[in-house]
Amino acid sequence: MVPRVAAAMWRFGIAEAVAYRASMFVWVLATCFPLVSLALWSYLAEEGPIGGYDRGGFVTYFVAAFLIRQLTSAWVCWDLTRQIRLGELDALLLRPAHPVLHHMMSNFAALPMRAFMALPLGVGVLIFAGGGDPVAWGDVLRTLPTLALAWGIVFSIQLAVACLAFWLTSATSLYEAWLAVHLVLSGYLLPTSLFPERFAEVIRVLPFHAALGFPVEVLTGRLTHGAYVEGIGLQCFWVACFSVLAAFSWRRGLTRYGSVGA
Amino acid sequence: MPACGTDVRVSRPPHIQVSGLSKHFRVSRREAGLVAAMRAVFRREWDTVRAVEEVSFRVTAGERVALLGPNGAGKTTTLKMLAGLLHPTAGELTVAGYTPAAREASFLRSIALVMGQKRQLSWDLPALDTFELNRVVYGVSHSDYRQRLDEMTELLDLAHVVSRPVRQLSLGERMKCELVAALLHRPKVIFLDEPTLGMDVTMQLKIRHFIRDYNERYGATVILTSHYMGDVAALCSRVLLIADGELRFDGDIDELVKSVRPVKRVSVTIPDKRHRVGMSEYGMVVQREERVVLDVERGKVSDVIAHLLSREGVRDLEVTDPPLEEVLREVFERRRV
Repeated sequence: MVPRVAAAMWRFGIAEAVAYRASMFVWVLATCFPLVSLALWSYLAEEGPIGGYDRGGFVTYFVAAFLIRQLTSAWVCWDLTRQIRLGELDALLLRPAHPVLHHMMSNFAALPMRAFMALPLGVGVLIFAGGGDPVAWGDVLRTLPTLALAWGIVFSIQLAVACLAFWLTSATSLYEAWLAVHLVLSGYLLPTSLFPERFAEVIRVLPFHAALGFPVEVLTGRLTHGAYVEGIGLQCFWVACFSVLAAFSWRRGLTRYGSVGA
Repeated sequence: MPACGTDVRVSRPPHIQVSGLSKHFRVSRREAGLVAAMRAVFRREWDTVRAVEEVSFRVTAGERVALLGPNGAGKTTTLKMLAGLLHPTAGELTVAGYTPAAREASFLRSIALVMGQKRQLSWDLPALDTFELNRVVYGVSHSDYRQRLDEMTELLDLAHVVSRPVRQLSLGERMKCELVAALLHRPKVIFLDEPTLGMDVTMQLKIRHFIRDYNERYGATVILTSHYMGDVAALCSRVLLIADGELRFDGDIDELVKSVRPVKRVSVTIPDKRHRVGMSEYGMVVQREERVVLDVERGKVSDVIAHLLSREGVRDLEVTDPPLEEVLREVFERRRV
């Protein structure tokens, strides 16, 4: 029953994504900061490699960061927070299917549309920048599980924060604070390996890196097999942590739900 | 008024059983102004709002019951607890044998809650997309879905609108689509919160007819809140009157009217002004125009009718109960005194 319901929600989510395609295009453009970083770092690398990245390396890294950012995006934090605050969660609570499944499928369903918009942009930038380091097909395949887990981290942390809306007026502010840290520590603005070594070691075990920098490094072929396995393990750990946190907050929060509005 | 909690249909097993149900909300409070806003950052003050207080009633399967009360009385809160959206602070309730707050899937498959001010339809998609999603979520077979959808779209005259984006529908069309979305899985208990809010008279009639028809065909239990007494009079013979979160009356509408206004409303048309003199001898004159309206003690109605009909220039005599709006207004005003 659950797979059939999930599939129906996914189809419904695709229909909504198509209906909101213009907004989605704007969101894609609003998250193209790695392409700005690309221009800066590839220029700086013209005089010689920086931290193991030459010009082509930076181009590949930031195009990959841009694409992976699109393919791991979620917005359950904003949607669920609004639903809790305005009582719009009622409609989902009345259905014999878990509201989180609805959000999961709705967020997941938008990814193909997002990829459809982001891919030509990424390829265009790659061509405009004079090409980057080649990406191996093997690395593309190795990236797939890391993408799924990265999406799991982003979705579950957003869900955990959104559940705080059962207690707080503006839970999204907390996630925005998280995002500010994420921008710096995830590898979104610069590869985490460029930080001082001891600092980078700490950063690389945090969920920020696991959600973006790690899949980018896998795709760009910068990790050994051991580092890959270790990274997957870390991703699983963070998904589990945030999922448990979200499940606990959800269960406790639901008893406090006010279902505001007539 | 009769004592609250009077069970008028004790012979049949209850489909909904509510006992000592209470819901209290803790809400923050502060005075207006910048100083109060700054003070609230460091020290918040809280109030406890007793939205529902020790309400008890029973409803048997297939009954149509109206939950009435002024704004903020606790009607919608009660309805939301019955539907499992809100967790009660105290008390017990079962709906179709389930504890609503547990939100078991089989419970959710047996109920529907339609709210006039909230929607489950996706705003930018055609209603058909939500219907199809609900079909899968509620496990309705393709053939049942087709048959129910055809039946409801025909009854509600919706065939031409279900393929349009919901945002492009009128309020009435949207509400009718909401009803279809809520009833596709054929629930046994329907909670309706202001289902005709903001609609014109034609649309109100259509929706009332549809709800009544659904109840009669499938034996569904209907609990309705509405500020339109037309909805209540047309659909429900039993009312639960809630004020300040407490149940003030539980019984037949006729019983409520009799207890609050023990009079009958007698109306006659008297075109000639000269023939309208002395009307106050028969009862309290509510209106003295071409159509004269009197409130007459129930025991005197037959005598008054005989007198009126014997008078010159009197025609079109009609005897009714006082309008429900007036009765309820009187109940709520008494409460404020």
